[in-house]
Amino acid sequence: MERSFAAEVRSLRLGAGETFHGEGILAVTKALLQSGVSYIGGYQGAPVSHLIDVLGDARGLLDELGVYFEASASEAGAAAMLGASIHYPVRGAVTWKSTVGTNVASDALSNLASAGVTGGALVILGEDYGEGSSIIQERTHAFAMKSQMWLLDPRPNLGSIVDAVERGFELSEASSTPVLLQLRIRACHVHGSFACKDNRSPAVSMRQPIEQPAYDYGRINLPPSIYQHERQKVEQRWPAALRYIQEAGLNERFDGDLSDVGLIVPGGLYNGVIRGLQSLGLADAFGASRLPIYALNVVYPLVPDEVLDFCRDKKAVLLVEEGQPNYIEDALHAVLRKAGVDTRLHGKDIFPMAGEYTGDVMVEALARFVEQAAPAGLVAAPIAAMAKALREHKAQASQAIGAPVPTRPPGFCIGCPERPVFSAIKQMQEKLGQVHVNADIGCHTFGTLPPFNVGSTVLGYGLGLASSSGVGPLLPNRTLSIMGDGGFWHNGFTSGVVNAVYNGQDSVLVILQNGYTSATGTQVIPSSPSQPLSKPLTLDIEKALHGVGVKWIRKVGSYHVEEMRDTLEEAMSTPEGGLKVIIADGECQLERQRRLKPKQAEQLKRGERVVRTRFGIDEDTCTGDHSCIRLSGCPSLTIKPNPSPLRTDPVASVNSACVGCGLCGENAHAAVLCPSFYKAEVVQNPTAFERFMARVRGALIERLAA
Amino acid sequence: MTQALCILIGAMGGEGGGVLSDWLVDAAMQAGFPVQSTSVPGVAQRTGATTYYVEIFPQRRAELGGREPVLSLTPTAGQVDLMVASELVEAGRAIQNGYVHPAKTLLIASTHREYAVSEKAAMGDGRFDSERVLQAAQAQARAAVLLDMRALAQQHGTVINTVLFGAMAGSGVLPFSREQCEQAIERSGKAVQASLRGFAAGFEAASGRVQASTQLTERLQGTDRLPARARAWPAALHEVVASGVELTTHYQDARYAEQYLDAVERLLDAQRRLGQSDWAVTREAARYLALWMCYEDVVRVAQLKTRRERLERVRREVGAKPSDALRTTEYLKPGIDEIASLLPPVLARALLKATEGRAWHRGLLVRTDTLRGFLVLCALRSFKVFRRHGFRYAQEQAAIQRWLDAIESHLPDPAAALEIALAGNLVKGYGETNRRGHRNLTALLDAAQPGTPAQRLREIRLAALADPQGKQLSGALGRPVVAQPIRIVRRPQA
Repeated sequence: MERSFAAEVRSLRLGAGETFHGEGILAVTKALLQSGVSYIGGYQGAPVSHLIDVLGDARGLLDELGVYFEASASEAGAAAMLGASIHYPVRGAVTWKSTVGTNVASDALSNLASAGVTGGALVILGEDYGEGSSIIQERTHAFAMKSQMWLLDPRPNLGSIVDAVERGFELSEASSTPVLLQLRIRACHVHGSFACKDNRSPAVSMRQPIEQPAYDYGRINLPPSIYQHERQKVEQRWPAALRYIQEAGLNERFDGDLSDVGLIVPGGLYNGVIRGLQSLGLADAFGASRLPIYALNVVYPLVPDEVLDFCRDKKAVLLVEEGQPNYIEDALHAVLRKAGVDTRLHGKDIFPMAGEYTGDVMVEALARFVEQAAPAGLVAAPIAAMAKALREHKAQASQAIGAPVPTRPPGFCIGCPERPVFSAIKQMQEKLGQVHVNADIGCHTFGTLPPFNVGSTVLGYGLGLASSSGVGPLLPNRTLSIMGDGGFWHNGFTSGVVNAVYNGQDSVLVILQNGYTSATGTQVIPSSPSQPLSKPLTLDIEKALHGVGVKWIRKVGSYHVEEMRDTLEEAMSTPEGGLKVIIADGECQLERQRRLKPKQAEQLKRGERVVRTRFGIDEDTCTGDHSCIRLSGCPSLTIKPNPSPLRTDPVASVNSACVGCGLCGENAHAAVLCPSFYKAEVVQNPTAFERFMARVRGALIERLAA
Repeated sequence: MTQALCILIGAMGGEGGGVLSDWLVDAAMQAGFPVQSTSVPGVAQRTGATTYYVEIFPQRRAELGGREPVLSLTPTAGQVDLMVASELVEAGRAIQNGYVHPAKTLLIASTHREYAVSEKAAMGDGRFDSERVLQAAQAQARAAVLLDMRALAQQHGTVINTVLFGAMAGSGVLPFSREQCEQAIERSGKAVQASLRGFAAGFEAASGRVQASTQLTERLQGTDRLPARARAWPAALHEVVASGVELTTHYQDARYAEQYLDAVERLLDAQRRLGQSDWAVTREAARYLALWMCYEDVVRVAQLKTRRERLERVRREVGAKPSDALRTTEYLKPGIDEIASLLPPVLARALLKATEGRAWHRGLLVRTDTLRGFLVLCALRSFKVFRRHGFRYAQEQAAIQRWLDAIESHLPDPAAALEIALAGNLVKGYGETNRRGHRNLTALLDAAQPGTPAQRLREIRLAALADPQGKQLSGALGRPVVAQPIRIVRRPQA
């Protein structure tokens, strides 16, 4: 695990009268326990990984409450867990990264939504949209609509988020429908506080189990039940949901003096809208706005009565809907037109169709709306001037440096075991020619970026090999597929390996076995070398491959570039058919360092012998061509001004962050680079013999040196 | 109307930006201010650029009567009060995105560089011009605190986030005291003493009590190292020529340095004859001539790796204490070419012919901390005396001659001659890199007919440095891109 959550676990124990301080996603975790949840599951991914990480460290507390928790094998597994709430009055919650996780989970989610629930079922979705996102840009909204699950989007303060969890369960139970709670990435990581309640031990729990298993054909997704389910959705569950949303007051109204216009704002965007209004002098620091606001903490379903009530006496309203398609805008138009209300509705005509609604976008759009709608009692000119000043500042600032600064995409960490593999692939391609590479999702996706540029397509988590099925037979040469061990266990084993073997595909797969789902924060997987708590090493990828009939399997240490390159060449060119798998074996360096560092510090403290390895470059033999960097991209392999007064190009240099993984030397040999690299092993607290030898050798070498 | 204090921190993974915003939040909370922080960490840990955003409402909770300010989760251009950047180009990025405003923003940035992959991987010098950012920082910010905070952090044995925090506190923009900041560091409980030292350094620097000094490596003035015959030459040549003489002497001997000076003088005289007074052509030719004459062969590498000063430098670079034992391993991979280069031309040609089409290399791991390993290098070093009779020497001298002749023949158009002189930088490195450089320079010289404009030569030179596969160069020369010759063995057909 990337970090310890001991402090966070303590805050999960807080009771009534105490104040919780911390991150949004941890507030959700606390809210689950306050809601009397019976079971929790999920699959890691930013920005909700911490929910799973913290609960993994909080087993003691969960046991006391009788709450069952598991880190699910995939989002599909997590969604299927919610099946417990179909028959029984138990509350359950699961979490994953949306929308990629929701895609994986959608089979189980659809079936769950059809059968309906008795106990509250809540899905916590980490919405990764906009700036800094690492996934496809889509909306969860469509999922909610197609399966008719309710979608909460609370205002991004801890109080509102916690409230949404508690009310979400109630809404779910009141309408027999699973509820989705979406939290944007910044809301998951927002630091704030809320007043706690006591944790509730659920009525049905591991301590007080269900007494009688249930059977009800009406809950099975087969005809004729499915036709009933669809009718129930529209005739019972939907009206019940609208009733509950209205009665509980889940959506909020804030009045303002410019009452002939208004804003309709999904809760998650509320703070941004208020800041935009503040910038234009239309709201104060505490959110008191001159424009009336209708905040949708529930974005699906809409409550037509509330919408009409808000809009009826206004000449124009602006809907702030981030992302596309503009589902809410279309729905609002329908509500207004059906009721014959002719309030003008603005939305994507004023806001950009795509992209995150950052501070600048808000200011610009709100100013334009005020200008167009011209509310009575407001002089719009100064507002337009403010927006213009911002626009001009941005235009001027973008030119201030004269040339775009270099981008800094993410890359492999220092010492990462995946870097040498991509180095080997690049070298293999230098010899064999360009290869079609079916990339996958994980840290290894960074292999598609400079300096490697290895990867032709990315189709989804664990789907590297599966995505070779179509293209492989259509290319004259073999394709190369990439898969991480996280992706392997998530679904790659079945959708990739089993499929390839079953269909007799002739292709090459590299499995990067680093022991964790590292991109999401090094959570453990079934084949992790070190497991938390009592779980020992369990599953073995190689055995799994043998088990399904893969014949050509090679296991190569990740850092052995030459061997890896030669093995890749062999796999790409052997006359042997079938699936050929190379397991690139090397533990995630983050985890390794986390284990080694404290141990070595201890050993040093005790005066024991410790060897520290790192690499260096002779600055006078380096000629500044940087071939080594083009085969590595390691953050600790960098450049510095050339010490020679004659040379103008910077020399390569290894900085003190080097962990001595050995790649520099391996590359120097494998690619016949240059003789500038040296490996230095610093022996701290050397033995008496070593000290003696070092002295003797040192004295002689000193004489021989020129 | 009281407004939130908006603080945007631009950092890279592993620099402790998250810890820094935690300290800020803690200090603000203890001081009684409403505060909110958020971030887009995502893949930040994996070395990418990222931001942390903190808003502090500068009115104490006690005075708010239960009202709660609404704080934003995203920064707005032109509204950031304090922009903090842990590195110079990150400061540039913030400026470019409009987060630094002349009326509003105090900019605190470290002036050191962490190079992006695109800058590092260039075949020559791909570094972004720092001066551009420094100038824009002065022009765009209300006030700017710019200093090398990485150096301060290293000096105090801490991470850069502590220095940044100190500089923020020292800038006077935060609504709480130095002590409250220090208490936040103490409460966090990790590496407290080192962090406090870094904090203090940043605080002092930002308060203007210490002028941060960037130590520029002083370059020796060349004149006193100049041989007598070159002292009368234009001063613009002195530094380069002095270094060139030093290099060629060390590489071979005094006679070799004379040979070097002869070649430089030939160009100088040619320029004089044409009545030219801008000596850039001769200077750049002298620069790359010295480097080329001292091409890196096995002997040279052995010579450099057995220098006394190198032994010391390695210990210093890897941070070995006097009490530590040090094992050093060299990664050498000599091949047929390296052997041939030392043989007399006749033998070398025979060897190359016999081994044509075969790429043989032998990977050697030489332990230079052991006597045996060091002696191997000393033996190779001693081959220096045979160098002049070797195959490679003859080849390199011929190529150098062709290049010098081309420079001289283009002198009537000094701009074109300068381009050819600068193209001397194409030939460098070892093995395939060196062969590629020779190929590229030959291609350039082939294209350099009398009257070829300088701009054209410049295009070719830069194209040669654009990509190792020579795609751009082929484009610039109007040649077909050379396809990779070898293909993967086809899948067996069913």
